[in-house]
Amino acid sequence: MTAVIEARALAKSYGATRALDGASFTVESGRIVGLIGPNGAGKTTALRAILGLTHCEGELTVLGRDPRRQRDELMREVCFIADVAVLPGWLRVSQALEFAAGVHPRFDRARAGDFLRRTDIRMKSRVRELSKGMVTQLHLALVLAVDARLLVLDEPTLGLDLLYRRTFYDTLLNDYFNEQRTILLTTHQVEEIENLLTDVIFIDHGRVALAGAVDALGERYVQLTVTPEQAARERARALP
Amino acid sequence: MNLMVTLIRRELWEHRVLWIAPLVAAALLIAVALGGHAQVEVPRDVALDDRGRLALFALMQWAFVLPQYLLMLIVLFFYLLDCLYAERRDRSILFWKSMPVSDGQTVASKLLTALLVVPLGVFVLALLADLVFAAIIGLRFGDASAFVAWDTRTWLKLQALMLFGLMIAMLWYAPVAAWLLLISAWARRNLFLWAVLPPVFAVMLERIALGTDRIGDFLRYRLFGIWRELGVREGLGDALRIGGERLPRVDRLFDVIDASPVLGDPHLWLGLLFAAALVRVTIRIRRRRDDR
Repeated sequence: MTAVIEARALAKSYGATRALDGASFTVESGRIVGLIGPNGAGKTTALRAILGLTHCEGELTVLGRDPRRQRDELMREVCFIADVAVLPGWLRVSQALEFAAGVHPRFDRARAGDFLRRTDIRMKSRVRELSKGMVTQLHLALVLAVDARLLVLDEPTLGLDLLYRRTFYDTLLNDYFNEQRTILLTTHQVEEIENLLTDVIFIDHGRVALAGAVDALGERYVQLTVTPEQAARERARALP
Repeated sequence: MNLMVTLIRRELWEHRVLWIAPLVAAALLIAVALGGHAQVEVPRDVALDDRGRLALFALMQWAFVLPQYLLMLIVLFFYLLDCLYAERRDRSILFWKSMPVSDGQTVASKLLTALLVVPLGVFVLALLADLVFAAIIGLRFGDASAFVAWDTRTWLKLQALMLFGLMIAMLWYAPVAAWLLLISAWARRNLFLWAVLPPVFAVMLERIALGTDRIGDFLRYRLFGIWRELGVREGLGDALRIGGERLPRVDRLFDVIDASPVLGDPHLWLGLLFAAALVRVTIRIRRRRDDR
């Protein structure tokens, strides 16, 4: 397996806040990796660094390229959804498809059209007329129609109702994912995607706290359930 | 190529005022031709010879297109100021950046839209509106309109001249366009003030501190000097003196409006160099921008 992302000692500060503080991690090809951590842990900054959207210190290679300097080439093989509502309100659905087809050499317009036909989205609608769920569906249709090697999703289901979330992840897993593709996503609702992930990277205070394959983590750690009575008893016994 | 066409179409999708405003202006002018009344008082003692008629004809052409170009300049001013700001305001910049389009290509598409696509579009539209206008006037007033003779050769010459002048003017205004783009990419709010106040303050400061007006002169030259350079003022000024000693000579109009001094003017090329530098900074800002 080859590494899609290799990050060594990433560091980035916003004023006095250290968003990334020496984070190192590797993402292998053909995995679905969850970047997990509380708000402000540095997830989004790490993603932005990977996508070349922000400058950071340290070594960083994505698909063999430096996102800080070769961003344009990188974007041919990397797709991302940064947040739910970033499609501009004035854009028509048909224009979105036309634009992607015009600028993206790996965009398959027919495929995007297929996705959209399964939804209630009409080609003539403007983004501002669509519901939040529909905007996400549209964005997903655009992204899934790109033959990309790396898909990056930042809190993709934020603000979506439960029904859409299920459909979202089902589509992702069934229609898109294969061994040549890698998906990196962040969320702070781990329970929603824990069955989906093959790997996890826990990030806290700008550092990687724990990383590895989900299976391996399951073997290394056990869940310990303790009632307060048991805990009190054990503590009492531990006293000299 | 295909990429650039798509990017420019994108601009016209988002900023519909770029093509709606010129269409409305042309439609209004045609409406004037359909329903308007004009009284032209011609001094009796002026007997217009053929040359005079041609001059009047040429002047009417200028008068017809001028409002359309003025409107275009206003529209372009606000377009350039808004285009890189709008994508940050609605956060769609992250969507555009998820496409394999470089910051340089994006900025270039906006500059091309403002300095080439829209001016050419307005030129074609003004030309068509002019033809419709003339046809309507001809039909409505028949012989009475013969006062202003239609002359195809003069008309073609005028159109060629306007197109040429337009292109030179756009090159001349490139630094202003680049400055507006820079503000659009950089300012967080109050874009209009950021675009306008620094030059105004610079002029005021110089006046107070040194009592001179070099910056003001320079800015005035950069904003309006092109028309003097093109010789439009003298040409039109001459032509306007209808009834005076020197009856206008359309031929002279063409002689006076001459390209070579403008193209040979180092100010034009220095301006373009300056514009290129501003564009480079703009591209850098868009690449590095990290609004959170």
